[in-house]
Amino acid sequence: MNPVVRWFHQLGSPPYFDRFAARWAPWAYALAVLVMAYGLWGALFNVPADYQQGDSFRILYIHVPSAWMSLFVFALMAFYAAIALIWRIKLCEILAMACAPIGAAFTLITLATGSIWGKPMWGTWWDWDPRLTTELVLLFLYFGVIGLYHAIDDRRAAARAAGLLAIVGVALLPVIRYSVVWWNSLHQGQTISLFGKSTMDASMIQPLIWMIVGTKLWFIGSLLMRARADNLRREIGKDWVRQLAASNAGDNAR
Amino acid sequence: MSYQNYVVAAYAVFFVVLLWDFLAPRIGIRQLLKTAKTRVTRQTKPDKNEPLTRES
Amino acid sequence: MNTPSLFESARALLVRDLQLLWRRRGDALQPALFALLVVMLFALAMGGEPQALARIAAPVLWLASLLAGLLALDTLFRGDAEDGSLEQWLLAPVPLAWLVLVRVLVHWTTTALPLLLATPLLAELLHLPHAQLPLLLASLALGTPLLSLLGAVVAALTVGMRRSGILVALLALPLYVPVLVFGAGSVAAAAQGLDPTGALLMLAAGLVLALVLAPLAAAAAIRIALS
Repeated sequence: MNPVVRWFHQLGSPPYFDRFAARWAPWAYALAVLVMAYGLWGALFNVPADYQQGDSFRILYIHVPSAWMSLFVFALMAFYAAIALIWRIKLCEILAMACAPIGAAFTLITLATGSIWGKPMWGTWWDWDPRLTTELVLLFLYFGVIGLYHAIDDRRAAARAAGLLAIVGVALLPVIRYSVVWWNSLHQGQTISLFGKSTMDASMIQPLIWMIVGTKLWFIGSLLMRARADNLRREIGKDWVRQLAASNAGDNAR
Repeated sequence: MSYQNYVVAAYAVFFVVLLWDFLAPRIGIRQLLKTAKTRVTRQTKPDKNEPLTRES
Repeated sequence: MNTPSLFESARALLVRDLQLLWRRRGDALQPALFALLVVMLFALAMGGEPQALARIAAPVLWLASLLAGLLALDTLFRGDAEDGSLEQWLLAPVPLAWLVLVRVLVHWTTTALPLLLATPLLAELLHLPHAQLPLLLASLALGTPLLSLLGAVVAALTVGMRRSGILVALLALPLYVPVLVFGAGSVAAAAQGLDPTGALLMLAAGLVLALVLAPLAAAAAIRIALS
């Protein structure tokens, strides 16, 4: 059998996945911290202040990667959910549900940093511009998936139901975005877009790229850890978990 | 106008949320393993030939 | 015994639903009464001044219909889930999506249509400018079935849950956002002198898509819920 295919099958075994996730998550986190530290150092100290927006422009280096992550994670969640629904692969159910809190966290960061950035720019803490409004609806979609997953007792049925909701959500998300953009255009004299008209110099883009890579690495680490936790929760009565718990007696959980 | 406070606030939000994201699954895993361990000790039958002791 | 055709099964389900509804015909008025209450509460909260009310009349009427439809979602599958008929649907020789579609359309006719007919009266209470009324009715006529279809997917996801009230609202309202935006927005656009046709066409397109896709999604959700 093809080694890649065999590895996929092996991942489907709960104890194997537990070991895999426990082994690789710390690496993903460590790499993420390094990359993000480099990116943020560049964002804070290397990049010159924007002539229009001053230092508050530096918030972009957190706001934009978080916004992209919030959308990317939602799409990935729907992708895992689709695989889980079509092929009934338990691991994909777990991965899909593990995506949800991480995506919600990034959405929250996007909203908060967008609001904080907006205060010096627009003078208000909130504005119903298309981007922020879509992010807010996205946050509710995430909460819906998480809420539905926790509301159903049977874990597998819960994951499939919440996964179906994620798929419906991802199909509707472009429509939501388009509708809010159209709605915004009805009210003339709207604010400038968040990034203004200043084009970004090459030196200013670099930290952004590092941050985009860094947040993705962080996501991988967090996904593995959360999937590991859900995996353990589902398998808690099994022997391999007992052995793992007994052998962990005295150490901290890794 | 000092933008410093805003930048600090935004970066602080970023760090706090990521910190929560880091800690939540770790705490969950630790609690799950602890639950599994107590189940093991609860279900292990004590050896009837040994005298009773305080240690489990 | 021949397998019933799509039309025969639809007619059987329609007759059954109407019979059941007839025995509790008072229930059909409840969405309209709820909308009336919402209108009244908005008027009271705003202070009752005609100019102020006229400005918000169309959005309030849209919201009243939307919220009434949200509450009515509870009755979409609940009766059948409780007495086991929903499981019979799974075993039926006709596609589950077809049964869902028929059920949703009957449900819309008995809950949203009375509301639609009551809207001109409610519009008077809020001093809606008469010029806006036809457009409001058109947007509601296109929007409310769309809301019913989207809501059916959410209702199917939560079927069988006992305490699902707020959860259904939390799940459904983000999905309702584009419908509300295009629906209420079309009236707002017309009030500003812009062309509302684009928004109405978006609603119509959404309705056509939902007529095909929503029953399929709801059927998948019912299968998951009853698995």
